[in-house]
Amino acid sequence: MTSQLRAAPESGRRRRIAARTRLDFWFDLVLLVAYTLAYSYGFTGIGIHEWLGLGIGLALLIHLTLHWDWVIRTTGRLLRPRGPDKLIWLVNLALLIAMTLCVLSGILISRVALPYLGINLTRIGPFWSRAHTLTAEVTLGLVPVHVALRWRWIVRIGRRLLTCPRPGRSR
Amino acid sequence: MPEAGAVAVKFLRHLAAVTLVVAVVVIGGLAWGHFGASTLVGNLPGRNKVVTVPHVRLKDLPPGTEVVARPGPHGPVIVDVSDSGGMNLGLDSMFQAVNLPVVRQTLEIEAGVTAAVVILDIARRRLRRFLRARRLQAGGPAQRREQRE
Repeated sequence: MTSQLRAAPESGRRRRIAARTRLDFWFDLVLLVAYTLAYSYGFTGIGIHEWLGLGIGLALLIHLTLHWDWVIRTTGRLLRPRGPDKLIWLVNLALLIAMTLCVLSGILISRVALPYLGINLTRIGPFWSRAHTLTAEVTLGLVPVHVALRWRWIVRIGRRLLTCPRPGRSR
Repeated sequence: MPEAGAVAVKFLRHLAAVTLVVAVVVIGGLAWGHFGASTLVGNLPGRNKVVTVPHVRLKDLPPGTEVVARPGPHGPVIVDVSDSGGMNLGLDSMFQAVNLPVVRQTLEIEAGVTAAVVILDIARRRLRRFLRARRLQAGGPAQRREQRE
């Protein structure tokens, strides 16, 4: 009886972890595709670029929230001499700052999305246009690094999810 | 069900923490814009499209400006520049093959950086494995020496 009671939450935990992994994989993949499109301004045009940028801003909040446990855990281990995730932590911090400033400057110089929402910002100088360009270039360098530093996880999960898709079963 | 509630509460707590961190970065950015706007002077290389035609040089085109160009003997020739009559949202630009190189260039940069990091990571792991194997081959004395130190 006791083992049954213990087994139930254990199996539930396993199922939840698997669902979380799947969510992480697909959510991050969609985010990467959206970022690639949003960066390719000449491809999307200004309307889609701005709405995608706003969507990416919100998605990044969720992405960070989903991985906040990792942030806390790794930050706590930073002072250890052989912290395994130090480089990833630094890249992620730089990416957080660059991406936030990119979205912020994009909002401030918005010509389509914000006016559509009834917000018209005046007295926005050229600083924010330049900041937007600069931070966008920085994110283009950091996003692939951010992805590549987790390539083993991506390959492992991607192989499992894409080679034998069984939507009804947890892994 | 109570577990779902606990998960939701945890998610909201984390979301609040993330929002706080993002707010700090936003305030930092706004302070940068307010006090250090002069740090970003001059033109940055990158996105501004420079279109050169004989005797005409168009750069820093405002978003939404439509430039129609055709190939000429000395580079592209501007056929039409339209920035009047409202903004062109470019909603159909994704369906025009001429814009595909833009996204291809982004993909190439992403793929290149990713490949470089992956190769470096593989090389680093192999080097570590090799060094560990050599240390093990050296055997006990080295380990004893390490212990003594």
